Amino acid sequence: MKLYSFIFCLFLGNLVFAQRSEDLIPKDAVTVFSINNISLLQKISMDDLVRYEFMEEVQQELFDGSTSGKTLKDSGIDFNQKLNVFYGRGDAYEVSGFTFGIKNKEELFQVFDDFEKIESSYPGIEFYSSYFNNLIIRGNSALLIRVEPTMEKVDEVTDSIWYARGNEDPWSMYDYEEERESDSAYQEILEEEIFEEMEEEDKPVSNYDFPDAEEDPNQKNYYELRDSVQVQMQMGFLKTLCDELLVKKISLSDFDPRFAKQLTHTSEGIFYLDNSRNLEKAKGLWYFQTMFPSLYVDLKNLYSENVLLGDLLLKENSVEFLMEAHYGKELGSIYEKMNDSKFDKNILKYIHNDNTAYFTYNIDLREAYEQAYKIIMPILTDERNAQMSANVLTIELLNEFVNKDALFGTYKGSLFGTFNGIKKIKTKKIIFTYDEEFNYIEEETEAEEDMPIFTLGFTTDRGDIPEKVLKHLSRLTSRFENKGNYWVYENAILESAPLYMINKNGLFIFTNDEDLAINHANGYGKEALSKKESKKSKKSGFVYGMIDWAQAIERFPRDFFNAEQNAIIDAMRGKTGTMELTSSKTSAEKTNFKLVYNFEGIYDNSGKYLLDLLNSVYVISK
Amino acid sequence: MKTFAYFGMIFILFGFTSCIEIIDDITLKNDGSGTLKYSINLSSNKVKINSILALDSLEGKKVPSIAEIEAEIISFKNKLDAKTGISQVIVDYNFTDFIFKIQCDFTSVSALQLAIKEVVQELSKEKNMPELDHNWLSWDGTKIVRSIPDITTKRVKELKPEDIELLKTGNYTSISRFERMVDKFDNPSATLSKNKLAVMIRTNPYALSQNSNILENTIYLSPIKN
Repeated sequence: MKLYSFIFCLFLGNLVFAQRSEDLIPKDAVTVFSINNISLLQKISMDDLVRYEFMEEVQQELFDGSTSGKTLKDSGIDFNQKLNVFYGRGDAYEVSGFTFGIKNKEELFQVFDDFEKIESSYPGIEFYSSYFNNLIIRGNSALLIRVEPTMEKVDEVTDSIWYARGNEDPWSMYDYEEERESDSAYQEILEEEIFEEMEEEDKPVSNYDFPDAEEDPNQKNYYELRDSVQVQMQMGFLKTLCDELLVKKISLSDFDPRFAKQLTHTSEGIFYLDNSRNLEKAKGLWYFQTMFPSLYVDLKNLYSENVLLGDLLLKENSVEFLMEAHYGKELGSIYEKMNDSKFDKNILKYIHNDNTAYFTYNIDLREAYEQAYKIIMPILTDERNAQMSANVLTIELLNEFVNKDALFGTYKGSLFGTFNGIKKIKTKKIIFTYDEEFNYIEEETEAEEDMPIFTLGFTTDRGDIPEKVLKHLSRLTSRFENKGNYWVYENAILESAPLYMINKNGLFIFTNDEDLAINHANGYGKEALSKKESKKSKKSGFVYGMIDWAQAIERFPRDFFNAEQNAIIDAMRGKTGTMELTSSKTSAEKTNFKLVYNFEGIYDNSGKYLLDLLNSVYVISK
Repeated sequence: MKTFAYFGMIFILFGFTSCIEIIDDITLKNDGSGTLKYSINLSSNKVKINSILALDSLEGKKVPSIAEIEAEIISFKNKLDAKTGISQVIVDYNFTDFIFKIQCDFTSVSALQLAIKEVVQELSKEKNMPELDHNWLSWDGTKIVRSIPDITTKRVKELKPEDIELLKTGNYTSISRFERMVDKFDNPSATLSKNKLAVMIRTNPYALSQNSNILENTIYLSPIKN
């Protein structure tokens, strides 16, 4: 019995004291990608890894050449622990970095060769530093972290010290009036020229001298002071974060049980985004924060519990990304009402069975409005502020006077879109024609140009209202013309191609597809989406999307992407498969989304797929 | 620097343009003075150009606004107008069909070349531009030797191979006009006008990028009748 107890204690001890890289994720992290099966990444070269956007915050160290030609396998990383990449932005500072397990410290420091050991104030913890990056090692786990005070906070503290020292406005030497009067294009050119002169003469131009402190020559100028403030704040924030993480032992998984639960998933990767805390970084809300502080608090409460949790699954012939969008009760009630809408079958008539990509979006805007009015108006009414009271009164009057039946009957909220690749469209061009003496004149002739073909339509019960608008517009300009089954707006797209509008079957459709307007104004009939495909769209929740990857890749307009993006597109070329987005029925607590990339054949480097997908999510969510 | 970037960007726009049409039309009087007309026609690709102009940046470079391009054209005109031996500089541009024309009178071909070289140098951030050493026009009163400026072929060669490929469908037309009849010319691709007062050579920008001598021509004029 004693033996069993001993073994049990050993097992328990192992569980409790086992090193886990995820325990080093600070609670300030708002976005986290955690890769469970990092053995997939062994083949990834360090050079490839540092090219990802999610590495950019910490890549400075890795870009110094020391990692050239090495793979992650040579980096001393423990592939039995998770690799967690995180980012977070609060009121005062930003944190970014990643945590990982260590297998071989010697190999690790061949990669992190710029890091120097510094004195640690925390027993059992090793500290290393390189410029703004810090490497913190606890047992067999490491945290590479960068803490940066926000520029707003740095400026605020710097200004406060600057003025407290009796200095004048550091920017007073700029002639703002003159700047305002100048034409912006010429101003840019002027600035370029000034900087070029600075480079040439290797001395600053007087207008761009740093502002100096007035009396004492030993006193720091404004920029020197700001640098000092920044460094001090950085050290202060890092200490606060470390005290919390290493002394109080509060990591993100301790702080948020939803993240802790997500970490127990055995999928290849997990994703966490706390949108409620992300709200604080939404720059558009600064006005609310300053002018209506209590309203801002109420809005924050409305967004509480708003979190996105995701799982990435790599299967034999598919990559699946499952996502749960959680929200608080009040916001959830708005989403629930909004997404509880009957699917409009008419839209399926206008999606061709040979389309490259399409989506359907099915919501009830009227219900969403009524519920939002019920939830948000009391919050606005509680705000004791003259301006807000006037706004509330305006909203309430509009609510009484506006014909909501007409408004939400015209635009109910449901819509669909299709992309049908690139087609030749008719345009006009000028050619020069020459006579016998080589004199030339300009002549207008017909031409053809490539254009992406798209269709966007929305459900309407009041087709008479857009019809009224179009009729009036056609009286104002000959560019609008009623062609019977459809309307045409000449040269609407890029001053070159016509836009067609179809107002039929309870739908109002915009398209640049001449064939759809002229030959299929009542739908594609037998050429429309198959029953099997239609069923998928109908069965999905409020949103459904599908891309035929092979067709889309071939039909992408190359000219509109940069070389790097084209390289990715080229890499995908030749791969077949579809990408499908579905959603669940929305409840008051959450909506589930599923993105599945089905492909044929095998993929040569699953790790790269994993990183590509994680990177896409990171870029979108950041 | 910015100025050069704008010209670079305009060139990228050209690069994405399969049917660029350029007319380089010079009229030379017996006294060596004359008129240069240079036209660029991008109307075949206005959809593409309009869509590029709608972007903020392309290939990491800022896409200039129409106002910025217009400002650069005016700056080019003003700089050229200020040069010795150059007068009557007229620019005409059309952002609906994307046709750009510049015309100027010159007192001699050497004054014209010098003026163009100086303006290009002023607009460029590059201090040393060896391609500007090249003279593409010479006139001795009886014959004119024409080629095209190295700066043009250099810019075409800087384009990516796939963009150069697009230039195959474009046109480059070089016209030389005179006050007296043409006696003969060297380039077999050239054609003589019915009144024998003008010579024209046409090629495409792609062929030009592959062989910058393709438009080279020496045109001999008949003696002046007293």
